[in-house]
Amino acid sequence: QLHRGQALHTTARDGLSSVSSQDVPAGRPRAVFHTSESDPAKHTEQHEARLYDIPLEEVKAVFPHGLPHRFQQQIQTFNEARVMVRKPALELLSYLKSSNFSHPAVRYVIYGERGTGKTMTLCHVVHYCSRQGWLVLHIPDAHLWVKNCKELLQSSYNKDRLDQPLQASVWLKNFKTSNERFLQEIKTQKKYIWGKQESTEEGRPLREVVEQGLARVRSASDAVGVVLREIKQQSHRGSFRLLVAVDGVNALWGRSTLRKEDKSPVSPGELTLVHNLRKMVMNDWSGGAIVTTLSQTGSLFKPSLAYTPQELLGKEGFNALDPFVPIPVPNYSPREFESCYGYYLERRWLQHEKAHTEDGKAELQFLSGSNPRQLDRLAGPL
Amino acid sequence: TSARVCRGCSRASPVPCRMVPVRWSRYSPSYLEPEVKKEYYQKPAEELTEEEREQMNLKAVRPIKAAPPTLSSSVFSDPMISKFTNMMMKSGNKVLARSLMSQTLEAIKRKQLEKYHKAPENEKETIECNPYVIFHQALKNCQPIIGLSNITKGGKTYQVPVPLTDNRKRFLAMKWLITECRENKHRRTMMPEKLSQELLLAFNNEGPVIKRKHVLHKMAEANRAYAHFRWW
Repeated sequence: QLHRGQALHTTARDGLSSVSSQDVPAGRPRAVFHTSESDPAKHTEQHEARLYDIPLEEVKAVFPHGLPHRFQQQIQTFNEARVMVRKPALELLSYLKSSNFSHPAVRYVIYGERGTGKTMTLCHVVHYCSRQGWLVLHIPDAHLWVKNCKELLQSSYNKDRLDQPLQASVWLKNFKTSNERFLQEIKTQKKYIWGKQESTEEGRPLREVVEQGLARVRSASDAVGVVLREIKQQSHRGSFRLLVAVDGVNALWGRSTLRKEDKSPVSPGELTLVHNLRKMVMNDWSGGAIVTTLSQTGSLFKPSLAYTPQELLGKEGFNALDPFVPIPVPNYSPREFESCYGYYLERRWLQHEKAHTEDGKAELQFLSGSNPRQLDRLAGPL
Repeated sequence: TSARVCRGCSRASPVPCRMVPVRWSRYSPSYLEPEVKKEYYQKPAEELTEEEREQMNLKAVRPIKAAPPTLSSSVFSDPMISKFTNMMMKSGNKVLARSLMSQTLEAIKRKQLEKYHKAPENEKETIECNPYVIFHQALKNCQPIIGLSNITKGGKTYQVPVPLTDNRKRFLAMKWLITECRENKHRRTMMPEKLSQELLLAFNNEGPVIKRKHVLHKMAEANRAYAHFRWW
């Protein structure tokens, strides 16, 4: 069994020791909506609607990619990363804690309307799993793999498929940052030949496969495929737990805007990265869990009001992901809204003098409809 | 029978279409202005003065003009900000102008908050983080006190120093800020970034817009001799 926090980089591990297990305020008293419990494993209903703090070194180690852009700007401005503990995340964490890892991996699909906090729920779960020492395979946005691709190469492994060197190398770089320890310990089980002179022997650490993918960008997509295959095959042994976290999983079964050189459209199944990821999201392996998020925001050819799994995944995607555990994410409850509003006031984000009044608060609640994204956008200029 | 063509809008229609004027002075004088402030309606009946009681009674019988889209009952609405947004607008794209304005205010707030959090304790009170206060102060600092007007006398045109009304001062300040951002900056910088930088400089009485105001003041001072050419 790997120890807790062994997956984290050495700078982040120092932050673990200073975690206090009680809600006792240290130094000056923080307000009601904060909690000093920064270990997601200890979050319960008592911590609901409260914001917990992630130390900045841990943020850099656990989330090299994956946090929404506006949240990253907020971390920069406030100099701290505070995530709200909400019901859907607590539900997911309780399922993960009580799941049997010798059974096939359970698939969880987080869905909800636009801007309700699906990506943040996923990030909460990813933080919990990396604290528990799991190997986290986090794909920040699957939509980026099916659109705006500048270079499409024909795959050398399979003539019908297309490679995406840029996207694959970016993902490999971020994967390396977040899972240093595992890359050293997991060994390859087969010999892989990359080109005329390059090959990786059996029994070499996975780190070499990743280095190969980063050095030779042309074979980066194949390197990603090898990494996914090795991890999947070795997860059932029990030496590590695997979390596959995919944001925007509906991109894998939708349409893409990419075109081949003869201007014919490319279906996502013809892309190596998407093909390998689809195999990863199947429940034919054990020793971990698959947590995915549906997203309309980056999706292609989907109506803007669609949010249910049936609408966004389509027939093919639904059949591929079936059976799954659906986890709906609603807008803020009144308590959560109070908590968020109080946090903005405390951090001096709401500067308008009317925003401190009851009228201003009522207006913010009405205009945003308690939607987290709308509240964030409204509070920006105020 | 052939369809008759409406002479006003040149569309074919079987029935004469009537253009009904909705805005400006096409209203008959009996129409009253709309009142959007919540406090006006929340006052209990005893506190009203005579005029206000009369006004309330009049509202029951007289028709009311349509409210313009810029009139808002929100507690956060600011007439100066609306005016500035209208001046930034191009081809009637108010949505874009308003989003640029809110991004500018957010950019100002972020820059000031970052400075605030990094500053030592004794300097924290001096840093102003409210983007509205910064906006109003910057506009006030950019307003010229005296302007120049072209007056032709004896075949020659002279630049004559002339007092400016409040509206004209506000307009000039806003116009200078916007033209400065549009013309004298790098092509690829976004408007919120440029504007927030200019507003922060103007707030501290620095920057090209303040310089333009000083140049105008100096020209007016230099042309003092022609001040008597003004007849109003």
